[in-house]
Amino acid sequence: MENVNYYECKNVTKSYGNLTALDDVNFSIGKNEVVGLLGDNGAGKSTLIKMMSGVVTPDTGKIFVDGKETRISTRKESEEVAGIETIYQNSALCDDMTITRNIFMGREITTNLGFMDHKKMEETSVDVLESGVHISGIDSPLKEIGALSGGQKQAVAIARAVYFKRKILLLDEPTSALSVRETERVLQYVTELKKEDVSSVIVTHNLYHAFQVCDRFVVMSHGKVIFEKNKSDTNLEEVTEQVIKV
Amino acid sequence: MLLYVNSKHWGVFIMLKFVDNIRSKPAGGIILLFVSIQIVAIIGGLLYPDSFRYLNPANIAVLLKSMSALGIMAIGVGILMITGEFDLSVGTLYTFCAIVTATVVKEYAMSPYFAMLVGVFVGMLAGVMHASIVNRFTIPSFIVTLGAMLLWKGATLLYHGAKSLRYKYESATYKTVLTGDIGVVDASFLWFLGVGAIFYFVLHHHKIGNHFYAVGGNPEAAVAIGINPKRVKLIAFMIAGGCAALSGVVAMSRVGSVQPGGGLGLELEAIAACVIGGCALMGGRGSIIGIMLGTALIYTIQDLLLLLRAPGFYFDMFVGGLIVIAAVTNVVIRKRI
Ligand SMILES: Nc1ncnc2c1ncn2[C@@H]1O[C@H](COP(=O)(O)OP(=O)(O)OP(=O)(O)O)[C@@H](O)[C@H]1O
Ligand SMILES: [Mg+2]
Repeated sequence: MENVNYYECKNVTKSYGNLTALDDVNFSIGKNEVVGLLGDNGAGKSTLIKMMSGVVTPDTGKIFVDGKETRISTRKESEEVAGIETIYQNSALCDDMTITRNIFMGREITTNLGFMDHKKMEETSVDVLESGVHISGIDSPLKEIGALSGGQKQAVAIARAVYFKRKILLLDEPTSALSVRETERVLQYVTELKKEDVSSVIVTHNLYHAFQVCDRFVVMSHGKVIFEKNKSDTNLEEVTEQVIKV
Repeated sequence: MLLYVNSKHWGVFIMLKFVDNIRSKPAGGIILLFVSIQIVAIIGGLLYPDSFRYLNPANIAVLLKSMSALGIMAIGVGILMITGEFDLSVGTLYTFCAIVTATVVKEYAMSPYFAMLVGVFVGMLAGVMHASIVNRFTIPSFIVTLGAMLLWKGATLLYHGAKSLRYKYESATYKTVLTGDIGVVDASFLWFLGVGAIFYFVLHHHKIGNHFYAVGGNPEAAVAIGINPKRVKLIAFMIAGGCAALSGVVAMSRVGSVQPGGGLGLELEAIAACVIGGCALMGGRGSIIGIMLGTALIYTIQDLLLLLRAPGFYFDMFVGGLIVIAAVTNVVIRKRI
């Protein structure tokens, strides 16, 4: 048997009214692979990411996990069935809640009766914020998200995904608010994840970053996949040309 | 150098520390407001014990007794507000469920405890109904429960008629549990504290509480992270309905009767208590302690005005002012304007 992709979606279509956000998209994620998902604003990248994480339900199309056809229609299913964890473009955080409560939102550490173990969650938050992608200035896990800077917010979203990651990490413009140094760390981290058998898909408008970490590039335009090549078969010029062509 | 810090600086330092501490608490604004008003009232009561009878045991007893019905209702309304929804039907539902409870005792000769459970169950069922319509058709709950408000009002008239209903019960224990007192503390006030304690643990320490805040604070984030907002809202509506029913039964038991038109208007007072207590109208913010103090503050103001022999319309004006002051205080404290 040939090498099956860990995750694959086929002929996926999603429309919003008469706008086709995803148009017959085929997309796959191999084992130990970093895929760069590129394309102009409004190309459909975030829609594809949300579809894979179960937040957007496609109109048509099939999903395969480990070669087996699977139904994924909620966030919980993508997490449990496919091991997908996502950093959303808009971070998906609640401004009025503390860092800890945001990190564990929907996945609280609880006793049998469902009461939260605040101490454990706080300690874990401190741990995840300090390990992995560490971003300065977050001094207490009890700080409210609304009081953080854009980069710090993004760091919390990254820390959350890093903590709960399983098989696939989807990163939708994860470094858009980060400093150069922190961006380097995130990219570094994504490469290291391969050693832990975690594949990732990274959406970015920065092709240099994409070339730094990705093994394969997929370019989208107007809801369609228009280009797909391994890093070894292409170069920065070709990918750039694909991204900017109308 | 550092050793020489004069006492004035320390005073300022401690003040700032204190203000900072208050700021970091979600209910900081209301605690500050409540404590200030209590201090003023208590000093007044101590200075003029004869003309201003705030500390008179009879006054304290009445004050504690009067706030429990609204308080229990406001806790449910507040939790629902935290999830970003409203329930305008709690006032008429309060009456409807009380009448259901009384009927179960009178007509079917059931135990008053069982009847109370039936009443609360009906309230929760009403909550399920409100939530189902809101969830199914994604209509604002404001509209749905505005309709429900009239529905329960009509249902009360249909089911019972317009005359007031006396609620008598034989059981001595039931009497003690619902209408007894310990010193100045009325049983209904203990019910209020009990309900507050239970929902304090639910809202602030149970994971469902975290989901209430998430769904109200950022529904999209909640969905993106795997929380089902419809389920969370269903639970919140059930709590609001159940609390409305319980407050109706507690009030009816205390007074010994129920007026079919009695509950109307309470829904707005409950929302007022929640807003004064720091709940955000758009959801995502609020606390049990805040809601309870918000209720207590409304009744304290009413009591103070009565003691000062102010005409009745001052009450509405004060509560109106209080809502705005509380909202402003909360913003100022949070944003550090
Ligand atoms: N919930 C929605 N309702 C209606 N239209 C939507 C919705 N979500 C996305 N779209 C539309 O779908 C198209 C694709 O959007 P998407 O967010 O996937 O783009 P993107 O490639 O992530 O762009 P960007 O680089 O700017 O983030 C856009 O035209 C957008 O307006
Ligand atoms: Mg996007």
